[in-house]
Amino acid sequence: MDWKLTALRRTATAAAVAAAVAVGFAADAGAQQRELKVGYQKHPIQDASLDMMEKWAKANNVKLTRIPMAYSVFMEKVTATLTSGAGDQFDIIWHNDDWGQLWEKWLEPTDDVAGIGNVDKWPLDAFWSADRKLTVVPMAHTVGTFFYRSDLLKPEEVPKTFAELVATGQRLQKEGKVKWGYVGGMAMNNTWFSFWWTMWANNCDILKPLFERDNAKLKAANFEPAITEPCHREIVEYWWDAINTHKISPPGMTAYTRNEANAIFMAGDAAFTLVDSTHFGEFNDPRRSKIVGKVAMAPFPVGPRAQKPTSWNEIWGWGIPKGISAERKKLAKEALAFMLGDEEGQMEMWKKTGGPPPNVRLWDKIAAQDADFRMLKNAVFDQKPVTHSAYYFAEWPAVHKAYSDAVIAAMSGKREDIGKVMQDNVEKIRRAATGN
Amino acid sequence: MTTASLPAPAPRRAPGFFEALAPGGRRMLFLLAMVAVCLLFAFPVLWLGLTSLRPGYAVFYVHRGTDFTLENFHEVLGQQVVLKAMWNSFAISTLATILSLGVTVTSGYMLSRFKGPIPNTWFSLIYVFRCVPYVSWVLPLYFVTRALGIFDTYWGLLLPHVAVHVCFFSWIMKGFFDGIDPSMEYAAMIDGCSRWGAFWRVAMPAAIPGLTALAILCWLYTWNEFLFALILTAHETPILTVVMAQFVHELGMEWHLMSATAVLSLGPALLVTVFGQKYVIRGLKV
Amino acid sequence: MSSPTATRRPFLGLDEKKRFMLALIAPAVFALVFFQIVPIFTGANASFRDWALHDPKRTWVGLKNYLYVLRDPEFLFVVLPNTFGFMAASVGCSLGLGLALALLLNRKFRGRWLVQTVILLPLMVAPVIAAIMIRWMFNDQFGIVNVVLDLFGLAPVAWLTQRWTAFLAILITDVWLWTPWFTLLLLAGLQSLPPEPFEAAQIDAATPWRVFRHITLPMLRPVMVVCIVIRSIDAFRTFDIVWTISGGGPARATEVFSIYAYVEAFQFLNFGRGSAAAVIGAFIIVFFAMGLYRILNRWVEVSK
Repeated sequence: MDWKLTALRRTATAAAVAAAVAVGFAADAGAQQRELKVGYQKHPIQDASLDMMEKWAKANNVKLTRIPMAYSVFMEKVTATLTSGAGDQFDIIWHNDDWGQLWEKWLEPTDDVAGIGNVDKWPLDAFWSADRKLTVVPMAHTVGTFFYRSDLLKPEEVPKTFAELVATGQRLQKEGKVKWGYVGGMAMNNTWFSFWWTMWANNCDILKPLFERDNAKLKAANFEPAITEPCHREIVEYWWDAINTHKISPPGMTAYTRNEANAIFMAGDAAFTLVDSTHFGEFNDPRRSKIVGKVAMAPFPVGPRAQKPTSWNEIWGWGIPKGISAERKKLAKEALAFMLGDEEGQMEMWKKTGGPPPNVRLWDKIAAQDADFRMLKNAVFDQKPVTHSAYYFAEWPAVHKAYSDAVIAAMSGKREDIGKVMQDNVEKIRRAATGN
Repeated sequence: MTTASLPAPAPRRAPGFFEALAPGGRRMLFLLAMVAVCLLFAFPVLWLGLTSLRPGYAVFYVHRGTDFTLENFHEVLGQQVVLKAMWNSFAISTLATILSLGVTVTSGYMLSRFKGPIPNTWFSLIYVFRCVPYVSWVLPLYFVTRALGIFDTYWGLLLPHVAVHVCFFSWIMKGFFDGIDPSMEYAAMIDGCSRWGAFWRVAMPAAIPGLTALAILCWLYTWNEFLFALILTAHETPILTVVMAQFVHELGMEWHLMSATAVLSLGPALLVTVFGQKYVIRGLKV
Repeated sequence: MSSPTATRRPFLGLDEKKRFMLALIAPAVFALVFFQIVPIFTGANASFRDWALHDPKRTWVGLKNYLYVLRDPEFLFVVLPNTFGFMAASVGCSLGLGLALALLLNRKFRGRWLVQTVILLPLMVAPVIAAIMIRWMFNDQFGIVNVVLDLFGLAPVAWLTQRWTAFLAILITDVWLWTPWFTLLLLAGLQSLPPEPFEAAQIDAATPWRVFRHITLPMLRPVMVVCIVIRSIDAFRTFDIVWTISGGGPARATEVFSIYAYVEAFQFLNFGRGSAAAVIGAFIIVFFAMGLYRILNRWVEVSK
């Protein structure tokens, strides 16, 4: 048997060598026309960003291959590719603060990409590696934005507090202008568009110490949930009342994602919504929306425990896998640097898609010539304090889900039970955060 | 309302509600029941069709307003990837059907004709592994196809499909062969036919109707399958269900385009079903 | 292949009959081993390890993941009851409805092929699309279901915000999706029954109910057993329609077993724990379905 095995092994080795040589030749032949593969999602903003890189690719005889992937597996599939060290799938990948920390080990540092100094520092917090290297190149900002119907309200009539939001909503409903006052996503993964913006606007947070994002400090506090704080109970009660008492929001809203909320808002059935600014383009697309030209933006209404409107500010970006060859890394960085420096392309991206450009030096220039951008800048970017829309530790998705389950359960029950339901869920959230 | 109105010369028995009706009324009732059943089953599909004809701004409030358009289909068909995916889906469904049946017909025959440890082990094996939920093994499956170098190719999608069909189809094929009298095969073997010959020339022709039936079920299943296609393919081999899923992105979904693509994908499925249907019913004898 | 047995050298000590048996299943074994058994064992291996998707350390942790799942009160007292409840309701309803439709289609009438095609429509739509479609249909604002309720003067329902209405919406979808499957298989079974017992019953002037109860049903039982067992296994693993329609919500009120495993493995990226949950589920359903098969088979024997 032994000689057979040896022979087999020898044949296998020979075959492997032959294959390697063949692959090497193929790679050589391919080097004539260099290629960059981009794993992304088919979204107007991402395509606009790629269009900028395309200009560079044309000029440098590089083939830019766009590999669109379904959102339902994007993160899982790319994560699996990154951790297996495969260098043949993507050279540039779409990156997002939601999973910023999960990929830091597997991505190439981007501190040396030309033009990276021109981007906003705050949203980068999600993307630092353990040795303080940046792992992202920003593509566009995604910021929560309060939208109202400008055909129904003058700018000075826009609600500035939670109470005014209820009163104005009810007034518009009574006048028959709209069916609902406020509509926004509430179900899991769309927690931002109801609970969270009011939470921040009421000076509250999910974990203690409030507004802390340093993982070491959170750990030292044993991931103590803040959901039993009065500031937090108030916002759950606020939404309970909005649906059941004041009836400014539809009864089915606890199950809504952003899709349902947008459908109702774009049909002209609601006066207010809060969603990513990047939907502004969609709201004004006559093929998608019945409220074209009737949408404006304003700072968040403020809760009883805060004085000034808050905002949150995050980015979409591009990352470069560590597993690819040095030559490809260099090419990828050149492409991304070109994108960051392409002022014309970035202005066009804003105009076509409503995606705020990554180069903050451009913002004043755009604001000077574009009223919509002025409005967005005033509603979001000029508002302080700024918060982060997520936490940046590995168990965060589990905490997010546990939190969402807690508040939805509280919303589905009686008003007087809210405090008790929140209390019952404290340990579940902590358990999710500590991973056991 | 008496038994006398019954046309059948049957002796005394208590009339049921249905029999007590006049023949005309009975036919009406039957017709009504049929129409109701059809409406219930067809409604979501009809609604999907209606949705796909609505412009983007009216695609959620389908019942509000009467403007219809073919624009969604125009836009979808303008995307090359949709046509390519349609072809790939068609090819994969057809190949998977042929392969799965080729593999399971022999396996079912074995389960039907033999007794003993080998068929018992085989039956337990396919039964037990069918019970494992996909969650735990689609990701390893991705690694396996990557390791074999067939990720994002026809083979990388075809072979896992065949594996999934082994249990159910073997079980059903066993049923077909159970219903076919084995004495013909014994006779053929006495006449000098080998076991393969007896299987191929005697048992197989009798099982053709059953095979046709399973073929249609298998084709439809593969045509609509989503999970494997999602994990095991990328841009080289676009599959229709995955292309549909790409109309969903992080910021929402383009339901008007998605529904139009879904209606387009209904066409081939409907053709296969209508043409194959009489074989399905005639052939499926478990 | 057709040479006589005696002249063949025994291969691995197997006689000709055994070789034939193995040859018959060889291609299926190949597909099963590479594309089901190997991945399943890889997944099972992960369940004993510290295996986060984003950070696969792959260190051995023994039964830690299993203990977590088995000690999780949500898994034991919410997820498992939901899963079994859903399985029973789904299989029961679609079996009953499927049987009724099969009996109806077994009669001869004009336009039968049309009715048959219409009933098969749910099999032709991709389940992913069907589930999204149905989620919109059950929306409290723009969904057609509430519009129809309104036509009949009934109050609108916020379907997906309460446990039982959400459960009902999922159940209706599942029954719609799977009734055709039962109809198809049971109709095939009905049409393969020998005509003699029915002719005898006609001579005895038995009522249709008695014919059904004492002749059709007992003869159809073998087919029904296969259908019930296979469908139960699949209903236990149901994922996509629950995920799309309710996401397991509100909160975790409609969470079923597959969602539990999926969320652990792919939302929380804890692949080890998700695999452990999947393996536990596999064991539960293997034994449950085996028991079900035994009981149903005994019932078949007795009824003969």
